[in-house]
Amino acid sequence: MVQHGRQADSLQGTLELLVLKTLHLGPNHGFGITLHIQNASEGLLRVEEGSLYPALHRLERSGLVTAEWKTTSNARRARVYTLTDAGRQRLEDAEKKWTSLAAGVGKVLQFV
Amino acid sequence: MTNWLKALFRPPRDQEIHDEIQSHLDMRTEWNRSAGLPSGRAQLDARRRFGNPTLIAEETSAIHRASWSTAARQDVRYGLRAFRRAPVFTLTAIVTVALGIGASTAVFSVVDRILFRALPYPDSDRLVSVGMLAPYADNNEFLMVPSYRRLQDQQTPFLSMAAFGFSSPCDLTESNPVRLSCALVDAAFLPTFGIRPMAGRNFTAAEDVPNAPAVALLTYGFWMRRFAGDSGIVGRAILIDDKSVTVVGILPRDFELFNLSQVDLLMPVALLPDQSTRVVRAFARLKPGVSIAQAQSALQPLFAEETPHIPKEYLPGMSLVVRPLRDRQIANVRTASWTLLVAVGTVLLMACANVANLLLARSASRRRELAVRHALGAGRARLIRQTLTESLLLAVAGATAGCGLAWGLLRFFVAIAPNGITRLDQASLDVRVLLFTAAVSILAGLAFGMAPALERPDAEALSGGRSIAGFRGALRHGLVSLQIAASLLLLSGASLLVRALWRMEHVPLGIQPDHALSARFVLSKSYRQARVLAFYEGLEARLNRLPGAIAAISDTIPPGGSMSTPFSAIAVEGRPWLPEGVGGGVSWRYITPGYFGALGIPILRGRTFNEEDRSANASAIIINQTLAQRLFPGQDPLGRHILRSAKGEWHTVVGVCGDIRNRGLSRPPEPEYYVARKHVPDEIFGDGSRVLGGIVTVRSPFDAQAVAAALRADFTELDPTLPVEIETIQARFQKLTDGPRFDAMLLAGFAATGLVLAAIGIYSVIAFLVMQRTREVGIRMALGATPASVVGLFLRHAAPWTAAGLCMGILGSIFASRLLSSLLFEAQGRDWPSFVIAAATLCAVALCAACLPARRAAQIDPVKTLRQD
Repeated sequence: MVQHGRQADSLQGTLELLVLKTLHLGPNHGFGITLHIQNASEGLLRVEEGSLYPALHRLERSGLVTAEWKTTSNARRARVYTLTDAGRQRLEDAEKKWTSLAAGVGKVLQFV
Repeated sequence: MTNWLKALFRPPRDQEIHDEIQSHLDMRTEWNRSAGLPSGRAQLDARRRFGNPTLIAEETSAIHRASWSTAARQDVRYGLRAFRRAPVFTLTAIVTVALGIGASTAVFSVVDRILFRALPYPDSDRLVSVGMLAPYADNNEFLMVPSYRRLQDQQTPFLSMAAFGFSSPCDLTESNPVRLSCALVDAAFLPTFGIRPMAGRNFTAAEDVPNAPAVALLTYGFWMRRFAGDSGIVGRAILIDDKSVTVVGILPRDFELFNLSQVDLLMPVALLPDQSTRVVRAFARLKPGVSIAQAQSALQPLFAEETPHIPKEYLPGMSLVVRPLRDRQIANVRTASWTLLVAVGTVLLMACANVANLLLARSASRRRELAVRHALGAGRARLIRQTLTESLLLAVAGATAGCGLAWGLLRFFVAIAPNGITRLDQASLDVRVLLFTAAVSILAGLAFGMAPALERPDAEALSGGRSIAGFRGALRHGLVSLQIAASLLLLSGASLLVRALWRMEHVPLGIQPDHALSARFVLSKSYRQARVLAFYEGLEARLNRLPGAIAAISDTIPPGGSMSTPFSAIAVEGRPWLPEGVGGGVSWRYITPGYFGALGIPILRGRTFNEEDRSANASAIIINQTLAQRLFPGQDPLGRHILRSAKGEWHTVVGVCGDIRNRGLSRPPEPEYYVARKHVPDEIFGDGSRVLGGIVTVRSPFDAQAVAAALRADFTELDPTLPVEIETIQARFQKLTDGPRFDAMLLAGFAATGLVLAAIGIYSVIAFLVMQRTREVGIRMALGATPASVVGLFLRHAAPWTAAGLCMGILGSIFASRLLSSLLFEAQGRDWPSFVIAAATLCAVALCAACLPARRAAQIDPVKTLRQD
């Protein structure tokens, strides 16, 4: 449970970015976040739904999001996550980092 | 576990994660259904997309579990479950730890008060007892008054010296009189001990002289009892033995005399400088930086100067002693206390060895489990933590049970202890020791419990393989050998003491204790000589009227208590004085003629005293067999004349009586003589002091209660305020064996504990072996081994280790018995029967402990075991 290797780490980082970005739009529960990521990526990003939860709880523990049990529109209890200020800050940094990384990688790939 | 229990143990966080995942699955299912999937497929699809909910829940809660307490709780839960699966192991481990902690704490709590606690005086380790030790006197050093005075003036190693002139009964002769205990001390006594009166003052040196106005200090207890804590008493006069005594101060509450005896009043000892027939106990406070050895050598020249002043017959064998006050106080219980400490240390070690052994055995049997858990992804740190938690759980449970046991045992010790065990009444559970023993057990548990987790789990263990790893096997067997040795040590020690006790209780006393009573009294100091004489005459007349009784009055009766004089002070007519220092001391007593009959001491030759021997100018003497043999070897002592001391008059030997055990049962009979009590006030000290103390002995065929009542009535007629202490002679002698019985019982208790622990050790090792080799045994039996040969296989395995333990134990016992010898009655170092009894007991127990699991091995069904893997 402790060791998942380096691969997991970089993947986690990406997943966290996606979650933070989704929550930037407004508070949402786990299933809602899954749906949003799938829809927004037009089906390109299909994460195993369960793997979202360790990521969500890690964010909660680092104080980037808060969680609260709420009743959804169709009368179902769900744990709803809200972005905190620290989370917003982190999102900003991560977005910048990602953009520069993506730009860098793109440039290397386009180099002929 | 029932559901509510499960809920109790499941942390809320886990429940929440579980709910959250369920909510996700539900939403996905509903989403799928609204997308048109049939209900069954909708659910299936939701699960497929989600992945493994259990794994994910575990992974998620692991994130929160970085917090230590949740993890610990999980480990505890796991540990408890593991213990429930192995109840025998768990119980054994807990009992072992509890025994170790309980027994050692209880005993240490008793012994600590005696050996280690500071005395209630400031800087008490600087206080020493100073004096001369003589073979014919008691075991405590003393100084004759002129010597004390000179030492006090000339000594250099001490800040101050103080004298104690003994305690004696005294009477408060006011309305509502009471018998008190008055201690005589000099003015330097309180300052030397560092005691300040809580009210008033100490008496001054000017008040500490003969014929000064009498003054006294009250002890706190007496002050409270008699004067209800009224501090107005200071400066007032009270009547002690019909003399007016001014109260000058009150002693603090925690005041105690160096000998712990009960005391009500401190009065000036008022020594004369040249009082050469009087002795005192002397104490001193060392100057800073002066050691006891230095003090001793500094005093040695002064001691040498003293020798010309000491009567020659007292000089031989006399030596100067300077020793710590504590040593003086605990001299008689020191060996017993150390023995107990060693015994209890041994028990504690055995308990630790047992815990280690149990945990090692268990860990070996869990290698497979740990390997499986490692293969499933548990980190080694996690496994170590888990093992630690389990060991801690065991230790804590054992420690808790141990505290209870310690408390119970201490109460038990106090209840069964004979009177006069130093400071036992002050013993209370010692928290430091409790913590210490608990820590030792826990450390042992941790150290050995960790072994399996530290070992790198390997694939071999996964296969459920055999093998008790070579080193650990040897370690475990070595531990068992040590346990057997330790147990043998305890057993032989206990059997030595028990056999000594048995011998002691069956030693011929030289008297017939049944149907005899004694009544002890000390007359008030306010009695004048004439009244003393009248009292004794009246008492004798009344005793003679007791129906069917033989009665006697004497100054003392056995055991102990007699006057003593150096053997070389006795001279035989027509023979030169014996060289000085020959032959130790001779005890003697003042008796009335009925004495021998009342105590049942046989007259071997000649006659007992008669009334003629009691006339003023008669000089008859009766000697005992031992003295007769020493003074008149091979001759008829009757009619011979002897001198009791150089200054005395000639006495004629009229009879020889049997020997008695006077100085306790463990000492050989000593030479004794008897002098008839005359119809004049006795002059024992040669200075005309009245003999106030006396003891009546009555042998009567009637019921002891009735005789005691009649005696009491007689005393009341003579002096209604006189306290009389009546007890049977049987009880007096019984007291002699109380101390040894207590020692023997405690040590036997420890030996039993040790035996149980050793049995547990052997049992657990063999049981473990059987478990490890189940398969092998199955194969052997399938190939035709008989049950007997299987039992033999395991017993043969146990034999060398047991034998090694026995050898070590016997060697240890020989050493230990040498140390024990001072506790023993007629002990001669090596008591082989004791060793044999101990070794045989141990062998029997070891055999049983090994046989139980071995027999279980013999009942193994070969088919089942072979199919098992």
